[in-house]
Amino acid sequence: MVPKRNPEVVWRLEKGIHEMAWDKARKDEEYEDLGVLTLMVKGSIHQLNLVGAEIWTRINGINSVEKIAAEIGALFGWEAVEAHDAIIEFLKGIAERGWVEFSEKAAPASPKWKGH
Amino acid sequence: MLTHLASPVTVNWGITARCNFVCSHCFSRLDRSPELSGDDARRVVDILAAQGVMFLNYGTGEPLLRGDLFPLTEYAVGKGMKVTMNSNGSLIGPAAADRIREAGFHSVGISIDSADPGTHDGFRRMPGSFEKAVGAARLLRQRGIPLSVSSVVCRVNHRDFPALVSLAKELGAHTIDLHNFKCSGMGGLNKERLDLSPEEWKGFYEAAVPLRRSEKGIDIAFDDPILSLLGEEEQGKLVAGSVCGKLSLYIRPDGEITPCGFIPVTIGHILKDDFGKVWNDSKVLAHLRTKAAAGKCGGCAKFSSCLGGCTARAYAVHGAWDAPDPHCWLGD
Repeated sequence: MVPKRNPEVVWRLEKGIHEMAWDKARKDEEYEDLGVLTLMVKGSIHQLNLVGAEIWTRINGINSVEKIAAEIGALFGWEAVEAHDAIIEFLKGIAERGWVEFSEKAAPASPKWKGH
Repeated sequence: MLTHLASPVTVNWGITARCNFVCSHCFSRLDRSPELSGDDARRVVDILAAQGVMFLNYGTGEPLLRGDLFPLTEYAVGKGMKVTMNSNGSLIGPAAADRIREAGFHSVGISIDSADPGTHDGFRRMPGSFEKAVGAARLLRQRGIPLSVSSVVCRVNHRDFPALVSLAKELGAHTIDLHNFKCSGMGGLNKERLDLSPEEWKGFYEAAVPLRRSEKGIDIAFDDPILSLLGEEEQGKLVAGSVCGKLSLYIRPDGEITPCGFIPVTIGHILKDDFGKVWNDSKVLAHLRTKAAAGKCGGCAKFSSCLGGCTARAYAVHGAWDAPDPHCWLGD
């Protein structure tokens, strides 16, 4: 299963705050309440914390849920099953909001142009 | 979630103070400041793009009076910004609508204050302006350009909004912004004639909020912090109280930065000061982000959600950031 971002969602990583959250995470300090990534959807504004931001930035229509879960698990030191379940739950939540949709196959990663 | 943004999400930019209308409520009609040159305007875009500003909204005067509007917009869009504008629609014919589409505008807001042409024309003090605004809206939609309808709620139209919402839907608008009247600029001069009493504002919102819930196919936006008095939190708003200085900033035609267009207090200059420092270190912005309950707000259970309501209105009427919103109907 491959998640793909809704192109109508406008987003950015919060410069400085992203780095601050990682600094806290590495020091085992609380980072979960920091808004690291800001999204604007149909006039509504939302924020994701560090984990949400790291998942969001890996959603590209190519990476599968399994690949994202493996990377996030490795980043935060989670067990594979724990990471997979957490990512699935997160993705379901944002899919219900219409921020992502799922497809069975990844979009082609190769260039669409042809050389002459 | 702790919400301090690295930079504003939206910058409202008065790229020109010139306008071909003289509306009774306009906050900027008395603004005589010169506008930035084309080169300086591109520098503004560079600065905002580098800071990660997501949305750039042209307002203040009539943006289409600015000769370099389209190349400037293409430049900003090329930098990854979503560019929108508010226009009275009078200068949007087929050719301008084509250029608006080509330039890559994310959405265009057309000012329509009433579904009744006479009421709109009277408020805008421009005969025939309703017809032009509606015509502009249709031209934009014919080209697939996302449209919003922008209205200023005041004495002349506060009971007519259902028809206005229907018109906006018929025109294909994705959103109708029912802006509350602000007593800044010409609005300050015409406050007695145009503003509603607090009880009338309450009546307006009590009637309009249910319509927002029931209406399908169009978003009805109010962007008024005193909505929380009705227990009606703006969904996805992220911050309590006014968004000015928390999610957005305003740049005047001459480059001066203010918290919002309705607050005529300069906190820096976009080309002379470090924009990031202004956003992070301005004492005025710090105050707006941490307002204290003053006057009747003291002890009010709603203060934590409304933060004293609209700071621009409070400042315009009372000259103090922490003063209660003059539209607030509680505790009078």
